[in-house]
Amino acid sequence: MTAWIDGQAVERDAAVAAAAALLAGARAPLVAGLCAEAAAVQAAFDLARAIGASLDPAAGAPLYADLGALAAGGAMTTTPAEARGRADLVLALGRAPWASGLLHDLAAEGPVRGRAAGRPRAVVALGGPGDGGVQHVAYPVDAAGLPASVGLLRGLVAGRVAGPHPLADLAVRLREALYGVVVVDPAEIGALGTEMLNGLVKDLNETTRCFALPLGDPHQGRAVAQVAAWSTGQGPRVGFGRGHPEHDPWRFDAARQVAAGEVDAALWLASLPAPLPAWTRNLPTVALLGASQDDAIRGDEARVVIGVGVPGEAFGAALWHPGRAAIAWHEATAPRPAASPAAAILAEILTQTSADLRSGLAGRPAPHPEPASC
Amino acid sequence: MSVLTLREAPPERLDLAGLTPAFLAGLSEIEAARLPVGTSRRGLTLGDCFALTLDGSDDLRILGATDRLDRVGAGLAAGRIVVEGDVGQRLGAGMTGGSLEIGGSAGPFAGTAATGGTIRIAGDAGESAGGAVHGAAAGLDGATLVIGGTTGERLGDRMRAGLIVAKRAGAHAGARMIAGTIVAEEIGDHPGYGMRRGTLVAARHGALLPTFAETGRQDLVVLRLMARSLARLSPEAAALLRAPLRRHSGDLATLGKGELFTPEG
Repeated sequence: MTAWIDGQAVERDAAVAAAAALLAGARAPLVAGLCAEAAAVQAAFDLARAIGASLDPAAGAPLYADLGALAAGGAMTTTPAEARGRADLVLALGRAPWASGLLHDLAAEGPVRGRAAGRPRAVVALGGPGDGGVQHVAYPVDAAGLPASVGLLRGLVAGRVAGPHPLADLAVRLREALYGVVVVDPAEIGALGTEMLNGLVKDLNETTRCFALPLGDPHQGRAVAQVAAWSTGQGPRVGFGRGHPEHDPWRFDAARQVAAGEVDAALWLASLPAPLPAWTRNLPTVALLGASQDDAIRGDEARVVIGVGVPGEAFGAALWHPGRAAIAWHEATAPRPAASPAAAILAEILTQTSADLRSGLAGRPAPHPEPASC
Repeated sequence: MSVLTLREAPPERLDLAGLTPAFLAGLSEIEAARLPVGTSRRGLTLGDCFALTLDGSDDLRILGATDRLDRVGAGLAAGRIVVEGDVGQRLGAGMTGGSLEIGGSAGPFAGTAATGGTIRIAGDAGESAGGAVHGAAAGLDGATLVIGGTTGERLGDRMRAGLIVAKRAGAHAGARMIAGTIVAEEIGDHPGYGMRRGTLVAARHGALLPTFAETGRQDLVVLRLMARSLARLSPEAAALLRAPLRRHSGDLATLGKGELFTPEG
């Protein structure tokens, strides 16, 4: 693979050494992106723990719309596979379900197992553009917007909002369904709207079965959430500055931290495609970028750039599987033995960073440094 | 009066949780200077960042404060902390008593989980003032929060008890309220989204949710009692409560026992 320092091509070992020195000398490093295979994300958490960095995935904002609601009130969710097998009613909420391709699969077949087996499957939509290829019934969104409409629907389902209403028929459909599924992108309705939707689903489960089916983000956010959970017991926006993982979605929001000048070095991990933030060129940054072709990386994306193999393409890797809603093994589709996995590069950086810290080139100062070092 | 004077703008966020007058009263200046306040692996201490003058009194003054000072007054149970300047997130988090006075503005989550005492912010407050942090059971929980300026979105989000008085608030004021009272001159769109109980009073408001039902003009004794209790804290808020008020009930998406009062006409 290829590596660059300040836009100049260098040997990979030199780039790894430069990356380690940059990160080991930082006061408040940031490890961001995390759009990568599970092994690389795990390696990024290990590196962050060693250098006292904070973490935030590229999928941070949409992921926390879902995690915020989950932490506040819990959720009853299902997977695409279960929805295909069991649902007799599918509610597409907003625009995102129509861009996912999932509705085509759901509309093409009916429930084959469970209490709704043998019944026809109805697809209904609240908001969103619809699709001529998917037979569905469209309901209008209230003028107050989609989150307000979810609240209205919840009030209608529970009988707290009465009288004739355009959504009253949809409320009846949800109550009468044997296995309802609400497909939604939490980022589209926000944390408040998602919490309201989870409340609607729980209300429906008083008398029937209904589940939310949150769509994943395209940047491995849900896999990162799982790695973060098994690594720290918390969500992905954690900081190791004080030696232990502190979870703080506001404080460790990468965009906020960079804008506030709280970060002095960063590592951007994207072995899979993810939009590169502008700050990688302004802030001393190490970028690990995946590319199918060597010439796809320019080398000026950050101070230190190291090309890595694309997981699931150059080598087999554990990645998020949207259909199963789980981390699953993806075989290599175009094996490239010469391509270094990001996890291996991160392990090398960790080894050298640890050596730098031990040799006193950087790291924790004496317990009580001179005043005015603040 | 004890005084902490920030030497220079801190290079990282500092965590001042637990630095209350009562706690500092039990320490010498040398001991206090060794308290860890940094949030990076540099291990900054209070003495690295502040010049300290401690006299064991229940008054503490923080001078030269900036918005990188987090959790100022967190855990305060008694006494008074006066801050000259701005503060960061979670001002007065979990405080149970005493008073906090901020001369500048505050970051997000001011007063979160505070069960007692009074917080006064002369300037603005960030998002979720009096609101719950990620995964927390409640925001403001019995304390009094007075904000002289404008607040961000979700003022009083998931608050369980207590009183918030603000000049202006952004969208979704009183979202997910469990109980308590919010009085503001102006609030943004969709107040009370998902509120179960609680009272919102606003002279002006943005778009209302379709799950709030108007229940007519209400001449309630409780409003006059609230006006009386608010007179000392905020004469403007008290005057608002004495005006003829129209009531909306909501959020009917949830329990629906909350209410929004706005001036008639």
